[in-house]
Amino acid sequence: MLWAALLLPRLGLDALARSVPDADARMQQLALVSRDQACPLIVDAMPRVREAGVRRGQTLAAAQALFPALKTAVRDPAQECRLRELLAGWAYGYSSQVSLREDDAILIEVGGSFSLFGPWPRLERRWREELNALGITHRLAVAPTALGALALARAQDGALVGNAATLRQALDALPIGHARLDPLVVEALRGMGLSRLREVYALPRAGLIRRFGAALAEHLDRLRGAAPDPLPLYRPPDRFHARMEFDHEIESSETLRFPLHRLVGDLCAFLTSRDGGVQQLAIVLEHDPLQFRQRAPTRLAIGLQSPQRDARTIFELCLLRLQASPVPAPVRALGVQAENLPPFVPLARDLFDEARGAQLDWPQLADRLHNRLGADAVYALAVADDPRPEHAWRKRSIAPAAAPVRRPGPRPGWLLRRPLPLRGEPKRILAGPERIEAGWWDGGDLRRDYYVIETQQGQRAWAFRGIGGEAPWLLHGWFA
Amino acid sequence: MNTAPEYAELHCLSNFSFQRGASTALELFERAAKLGYRALAISDECSLAGIVRALEASRETGVALIVGSEIHLDDGLKLVLLAPNFAAYQSLCALITRGRREAKKGGYALRRADVAAHAHGLLALWIPGETPAPDDAEWIKRHFPQRAWLAVELHCGADDAARLRQLLDFAARHELPAVAAGDVHMHVRRRRALQDMLTAIRHHTTLRAGSGHLFANGERHLRRREALAELYPRELLAETLRIAARCTFDLKRDLKYAYPGEIVPRGHTPTTWLRDLVEQGIRWRWPEGEGAAARAQIEMELALIAKLGYESYFLTVSDIVNFARGKGILCQGRGSAANSAVCFCLGITAVDPQRSKLVFGRFLSEERGEPPDIDVDFEHERREEVIQYIYAKYGRDRAALAATVISYRTRSALRDVARALGFSADQVAQLSRSISVHDDGETMAAHLAEAGFDPAAPMLRRALVLARELHGFPRHLSQHVGGFVICDAPLHTLVPVENAAMAGRTIIQWDKDDLDTMGLLKVDCLALGMLTCIRKCLDLLRAHRGRDLTMATIPKEDAATYAMIQRADTVGVFQIESRAQMAMLPRLRPKEFYDLVIEVAIVRPGPIQGDMVHPYLRRRQGKEAVSYPSPEIRGVLERTLGVPLFQEQVMQIAVVAAGFTPGEADELRRSMAAWKRRGGLEHLRERLLGGMASRGYPHDFAERIFEQMKGFGDYGFPESHATSFAKIAYDSSWLKCHEPAAFACALLNSQPMGFYSASQIVQDLRRHGVRVLPVDVRCSGWDSSLESFDTPRAAEAVRAQPALRLGLREVRGFGEDAARRIETVRRQAAFTSIVDLCARAQLDRRAQGLLAQADALRGLAGHRHRARWAIAGVEANLPLFGRDSPAEARVVLPPPGIDASVLADYASTGLTLGPHPVALVRRQLRAQRCRRSAELREITGTRPVRAAGLVIGRQRPQTASGLTFVTLEDEDGQINVIVRLALAERQRRAFLESRLLLVDGLLESVEGVQHLIAENLRDLSSLLAGLAAHSRDFR
Repeated sequence: MLWAALLLPRLGLDALARSVPDADARMQQLALVSRDQACPLIVDAMPRVREAGVRRGQTLAAAQALFPALKTAVRDPAQECRLRELLAGWAYGYSSQVSLREDDAILIEVGGSFSLFGPWPRLERRWREELNALGITHRLAVAPTALGALALARAQDGALVGNAATLRQALDALPIGHARLDPLVVEALRGMGLSRLREVYALPRAGLIRRFGAALAEHLDRLRGAAPDPLPLYRPPDRFHARMEFDHEIESSETLRFPLHRLVGDLCAFLTSRDGGVQQLAIVLEHDPLQFRQRAPTRLAIGLQSPQRDARTIFELCLLRLQASPVPAPVRALGVQAENLPPFVPLARDLFDEARGAQLDWPQLADRLHNRLGADAVYALAVADDPRPEHAWRKRSIAPAAAPVRRPGPRPGWLLRRPLPLRGEPKRILAGPERIEAGWWDGGDLRRDYYVIETQQGQRAWAFRGIGGEAPWLLHGWFA
Repeated sequence: MNTAPEYAELHCLSNFSFQRGASTALELFERAAKLGYRALAISDECSLAGIVRALEASRETGVALIVGSEIHLDDGLKLVLLAPNFAAYQSLCALITRGRREAKKGGYALRRADVAAHAHGLLALWIPGETPAPDDAEWIKRHFPQRAWLAVELHCGADDAARLRQLLDFAARHELPAVAAGDVHMHVRRRRALQDMLTAIRHHTTLRAGSGHLFANGERHLRRREALAELYPRELLAETLRIAARCTFDLKRDLKYAYPGEIVPRGHTPTTWLRDLVEQGIRWRWPEGEGAAARAQIEMELALIAKLGYESYFLTVSDIVNFARGKGILCQGRGSAANSAVCFCLGITAVDPQRSKLVFGRFLSEERGEPPDIDVDFEHERREEVIQYIYAKYGRDRAALAATVISYRTRSALRDVARALGFSADQVAQLSRSISVHDDGETMAAHLAEAGFDPAAPMLRRALVLARELHGFPRHLSQHVGGFVICDAPLHTLVPVENAAMAGRTIIQWDKDDLDTMGLLKVDCLALGMLTCIRKCLDLLRAHRGRDLTMATIPKEDAATYAMIQRADTVGVFQIESRAQMAMLPRLRPKEFYDLVIEVAIVRPGPIQGDMVHPYLRRRQGKEAVSYPSPEIRGVLERTLGVPLFQEQVMQIAVVAAGFTPGEADELRRSMAAWKRRGGLEHLRERLLGGMASRGYPHDFAERIFEQMKGFGDYGFPESHATSFAKIAYDSSWLKCHEPAAFACALLNSQPMGFYSASQIVQDLRRHGVRVLPVDVRCSGWDSSLESFDTPRAAEAVRAQPALRLGLREVRGFGEDAARRIETVRRQAAFTSIVDLCARAQLDRRAQGLLAQADALRGLAGHRHRARWAIAGVEANLPLFGRDSPAEARVVLPPPGIDASVLADYASTGLTLGPHPVALVRRQLRAQRCRRSAELREITGTRPVRAAGLVIGRQRPQTASGLTFVTLEDEDGQINVIVRLALAERQRRAFLESRLLLVDGLLESVEGVQHLIAENLRDLSSLLAGLAAHSRDFR
């Protein structure tokens, strides 16, 4: 066994940078802070910020004193986790033994990979190129034990130690802080005047165990390879990728109907086999890279309100989606992909419920409308708390929302998008004035007296005038 | 003549309804006066905290004040309760007290039952909800018979006409009279933005997200009567006048405060009892007779006290001080009345009035009609005993702390405003950092621009405007540092009482200015660390040195002590130890007690800003002639060589030179204190200049006096306080001079306090040739202690100072309990081993580690590394029998180097008895041509130099605009560095981060005072890191 340790010293920042579309200037002034709201600590910072003296573990306030233009982002462990998963997937392409045991590193068994990918220097060069292209700051070392490789990677980027005897020598010279011991143990050992691993290995084992427990001795053995170090191994996640190539170019979506039906069928079979559903999938249209400008594959994403595995439902949705967007270029291959498959929750159905024919339930209808009309076109209305009529309602997604605080006076069913001059004087004032003065805080201050009026034509309307003086009447809505 | 119907506003909040009311009482009353309102009720929510200010505003504007409060009941009713007479006012106080005491600080909880129990005499305005319930109407009528109204409040809502009809119908149906009210939250509509802002702040949200909480419009202001006439039927407006007419209660006239009665024994009146106590005191203070002058002064004081009826006040203070003295708690009074002969006799002060040159005139001013002012400082560690005594003696319902109103300052205002406007947390922090406390509008804009904000951006402009409006608004009530209000009747019959943040503390809703206005007695029981230190020192002298001294018997006017003070050898003593004070000492060269009084008072922002320091020094040094424009002025200023240094002098000048009455002079003092906030000195200036001109004083002299008064501003220091402080300064100096070991020991045992760290105290002591012994579990207790060592001759032992043994309290993080256990079990038998120690003293892992780290186990286990190995081997669960662990093979551990030891000392105890860390890197520093501080002291005049030292202090005084005083320390002593703002910003990192700092700059020496004006900074901390045994890098 020969383990490569891929150390990720800037994991948080790297993960963040990947999520920002293009690294703008703000990014250069960025520090990552811990989630602790009372006293956020610096987790990491960009080079320019570090040059100003900002360090890991500093309080945010201290960092701001050093670098007044500091921008901050809160550390997102989930984001880091996703990046590690991605890298594990990448490493899985080189070795079937990949471990995510360490939070800040990926362990890869490389002894078995040399025959396929060539000797270490070549593999190392290739890895570094690929990692740099991915924007991953890294340190690499290889040793007969995983812990040994980790310690070496921290000490010397690119270190390669091939056998156990050399490893011992190399480890002896390392500071104890590199050995991934419990920080409390490290502190205690330092307090005893010990600084190199050599000195720790020289202590009587019984005395050491008595003071720090058997776990320390075990760890020291694993480091050197004197005890086995069983690692939890990474497994790629469940996902579905299926693809069909055509030997001719297809230019109409209608022609894609048949292959699509088959791929969706495969997907549903797969879903059934793992007893799950799908909530997000994508249709991928690949185009001829040589002939047309449109080179990148077209990806049509489809989202469902709840996990589904009914082939007919999914197929219909896919077809709707396909028909809604014209095919931009001739298609050479068609794919269906589904990632992050959620667990399937079958709807409770009445035992004697017959097929409901044309009847659609609301989630399914909403899905259909969504896919047919586009995401922005389907929404619900909600009351907002802002006193200004123009701001007193808002669009919201179909999920239920919190109840509003304010209970305003009567409001017209039809609010005009923009107030219009009222033709003629109102025949009668039915109620009001209701005075509204609000919005100064966003520059949209308005001061109006609203009235419910009856127009000369006898309609009930909502109209207002500016406060004070004989301001003109403006019509703002109609009551039914 | 305004023909609109008359009106009295009965429902109005001031800004003492925190985060609700958007105008001050004065603004409200001025507006009400302008609109011709007949009366104005201030009905802050469950609070009378703003009522005294309202009273003052009412007197200033002539609009009648109605005292009231708005109350929201937990079981759903909103009422405005008004007090028509004193009895009703008492009910209101009791009700508010009940609600406030039930809830935690800042809140209140009241239910209908509470209101029913305290409804006596109160008028109730019911503020109905959307659909008033008949049951509620019946409840209100039942509990407020003939005293209940339905309030109709119209604010241009959706349909006011319908609302009015609905409420009038309801009122008629339930036979409740209806009355108009305004639910006023601000004096003018213009405050709408601020009111919205306060609402958002109250709900901890932004204006955008919390817009549902905002009022839909700005109608809740004091509206013009014409406007009200259009909204309300005449009858509803007329009803307000009928209610107002029923409210004849006058807060100032009707409130009668009585001093506690029980301090006078049966058969005595306060007058005879005070006379008795004073006569006893005379015999105690002057065993061989008081002399004619003292007798005359005492008789005069007693006569004045009797005339003003303040006997009980003196007796109350005397009682508290007696308690403290009985418990051996050191105390010292100060304040105008404290330095009287009567207080000297009562033991309230140890300052002999014959020794101070205090002019008795300000002792009590007949005209002020205010209670006299006595503050008593107690040992800070034992003040709680005094507080508990007061609570126990008078009961919690008769004694409570005064409130302190916490107000919005520049920074807090901007922070809250920016947050409510939706600025991000980053931006808020950056904003509040980039402005300074003294910023006004323009400098603030400039500072913001420097920090990269655009002050012209609309959002920021809004923030600045609103922050300026919010500035000075009260935020919440806090407890006064020690001002007790004690009363004969339960306090809640005078003023509401509420809970403070601290458990078991209650405060009244008035602050000290309110108390002054209302004539309530306040005794300030303050905590003073130096008194703790002096008491501990006197105890040590009794135990170890065979000297039995008290503050009264410490030898006076001791030449050696003054010589020490003149050398500015004053590390650790009271008041005259700060850098500014130490810089002044060699120039002022105090040689008698009164010089110390001046020394204490002169190094203050007032005299510095009023430019009085240099004229005084020049005159004292004989470089400038002392002249007085008149004999009267001479009488006032002679003791300070013609330069006014004390607040009292300013007032006396106003009296003798400008014809002010003492009462007017006192108004002048108050205005001086407030002019920066409110302005308004102009009419006093004219009076002063006019008065002085008519008495023949030259104009420029008058102008100068006025400017000096203004310079005093907030910071004028009264001579009466300076005198008391000078006494403590002298006593602590005497102890330091004659008993340096005991004094330093007491000082260490009273930490944290004062200006100097334990390290500086210990270094100073060693420089004075006293031996200091390290922390050692075999000898050290919790406190530091004195250890005598054998000397061949007994005579020498008396003269020689004992050694100081550092206590375990110096070990950072070590608990007192563990230290006390070590003391106890060590008395039974000495420790034989680490295991023995840990077992008998029951030390946990943490305590063991701290001891090893502090090198306190040296005697049992050897050097730090060995100690650590040893304690790590102590089993977690120690065996009951056999206190020794199994024999172990000896391990070889490297001993720590001297440099590592020094750094570990610093890390653990903040001080080292080994070489100074700077001495360890001196070779490198010398290579960089850094001078030692001892070499700097040889330099006279102004010279460019380079020096380096450990950064032990960074101070940015309020008076020094943008200057930071950095104190560096090396093996010889300290270097005073001044860093200008521009340099601090240019070399931000070196300035903020350095532990070992190199400074290039100009060394200035003036009259024995040296400052290094920094021109360039360099961080040399890496030199120290290089000392560490473990390098953390391996590359």
